[in-house]
Amino acid sequence: MTEVLQSTPDREELILNMGPHHPSTHGVLRFIVHTDGEIMRKAVPDVGYLHRGLEKIAELQTYPGYMPFTDRINYLEVMFTNMAYATAVEKLLGTEVPPRAEVLRVLVCELNRIASHQITLGCITMDLGAFTPFVHLLRERERINDLMEALCGNRLTFNYMRIGGVSQDVPDEWLKQLEAFLDHFEPVIDEFDSLISYNEILIKRMGEVAVICAEDAVGFGLVGPNLRASGVDWDVRRDLPYGAYPQMDFQVPVGMGEKGTVGDCFDRFIIRVEEMRQSCKILRQCLANLPEGDIKAKVPKMPRPPKGEVYSCVEGARGELGVYLISDGTPKPYRLKWRTGSFAGLSIIEHISRGLMIADLVAVIATLDVIAPEMDR
Amino acid sequence: MGSFSEYLANIGRSIVTLGDGLAVTFSYLLRKPFTIQYPDRTEKPVVAMLPERSRGILEIDINVCTGCSICAKQCPIDCIHIEVVKDEETKQRVLKRFDIDVAKCMFCGLCVEACPVSGLRHTHEFEGSMSDVHRLMLSFVDKPQPVAKPAKKDEPAPETKPVGSIVRKLLADWWKPANPTSGGPR
Ligand code: SF4
Ligand code: SF4
Repeated sequence: MTEVLQSTPDREELILNMGPHHPSTHGVLRFIVHTDGEIMRKAVPDVGYLHRGLEKIAELQTYPGYMPFTDRINYLEVMFTNMAYATAVEKLLGTEVPPRAEVLRVLVCELNRIASHQITLGCITMDLGAFTPFVHLLRERERINDLMEALCGNRLTFNYMRIGGVSQDVPDEWLKQLEAFLDHFEPVIDEFDSLISYNEILIKRMGEVAVICAEDAVGFGLVGPNLRASGVDWDVRRDLPYGAYPQMDFQVPVGMGEKGTVGDCFDRFIIRVEEMRQSCKILRQCLANLPEGDIKAKVPKMPRPPKGEVYSCVEGARGELGVYLISDGTPKPYRLKWRTGSFAGLSIIEHISRGLMIADLVAVIATLDVIAPEMDR
Repeated sequence: MGSFSEYLANIGRSIVTLGDGLAVTFSYLLRKPFTIQYPDRTEKPVVAMLPERSRGILEIDINVCTGCSICAKQCPIDCIHIEVVKDEETKQRVLKRFDIDVAKCMFCGLCVEACPVSGLRHTHEFEGSMSDVHRLMLSFVDKPQPVAKPAKKDEPAPETKPVGSIVRKLLADWWKPANPTSGGPR
């Protein structure tokens, strides 16, 4: 192995380009792969193809006017980006969010987490060559999209949250539909497990592959499921509670090394399956304890937060999703910075790709759940 | 010898787990299909199947609009253009132009939330593909007309046209080859 990883006059390396338009890179993302035969010496990510200047746009928009732009940070995590931004501005303004709005926010966030993990899990299996599970999960996500559309009018760019609450209350019958969905979906997770999760071929492709140890995971700033898969028990929902999460009872799944070593690709896969179960559990609690009352606090139409800066984070589907916001007392933010899980996930790829097979790179990218628009912003 | 039996065990496990998966796939042969055949094999038109709150192309009923321009100010990307002028003779405020750039609009709904008289609203129309992007600048004012007075507290809200009828007409007009230089399918 070591001689493969070193360049000598008779062992030159071959540089391959993977991307920018590779179907498994989940967006426009390029890897420069240094290879010797089938073994990679390193894979260097090249980012920035999807940069849309969403942080700069914030400086040109009023506080409420930036809300629809947060939808575009990550097309799979819309509720979380909405919520991270809304909580940041609320912290600056010192607004109290009504209890009903808090629970509604948790409800839509967990629904969104399920939808996001469905895409991730589907993409992992598809990248490894199994197409059917992807289609099954996409079908289930369609039901969530329908629910979201009935709730807030759009299927992808929800723009549901507002500073101080949420935009609309749930329509009639919506909670019943949600419950029906949960009754339907919980067995589907088990079905998915027997369809693919414990498929021996998939286990062989993912077990023991690209192991990330706990020190590396913390050192590279991994967050969310990627961090927990490496055995670090950290979840913003539980450890830095926000919103209505302190009232919820849920477990935080941590990587166990079920089919190999703690922190391998399989752990990162199976932890997301488990998180979908936990999200269902939280959703049921929200349904049971949805308080009555207002859905939006009184906030001025054109808020001018006092001078100051704030960091606010939520646990998104890709881990800690943070907003750092500076206000200079005008109706427009002075500076806004996003901290997203995909970027941290991407930064570790160069480190762990050393010595992997080329074909395993797609497994690494997929299980780290790297979403290109989220890291380029 | 150990590795050979391990090899066989691997194959065995693969076949068993593959069988599990195929059993799930097979069961779908007997279930009702989930797919719908867009656009024309549906029971109802798709527009009628969308939920109540669905955010489609915007439309404005100019008979209730008070010309306050709150919606234009709320829009983060400035795609609503309103021009209100004062008529010198009648001293009335006249709505001269109300254009919405549907090509630019991101259907966020902030303008609709802000409108105090609910003159601006989302329709369920979403099929607006055109070969010329400039035609997606929808003009809702044909000839200038005085703006509506906001309804008093105890008055009933003014009648509005059915949601969608205005936009449907505008979109349908486009397909008529009215003006040979601009518009019409090319
Ligand atoms: S829906 Fe949003 S983008 Fe479109 S006109 Fe209204 S405010 Fe502007
Ligand atoms: S549509 Fe509504 S908000 Fe816009 S100018 Fe007319 S009345 Fe005002």
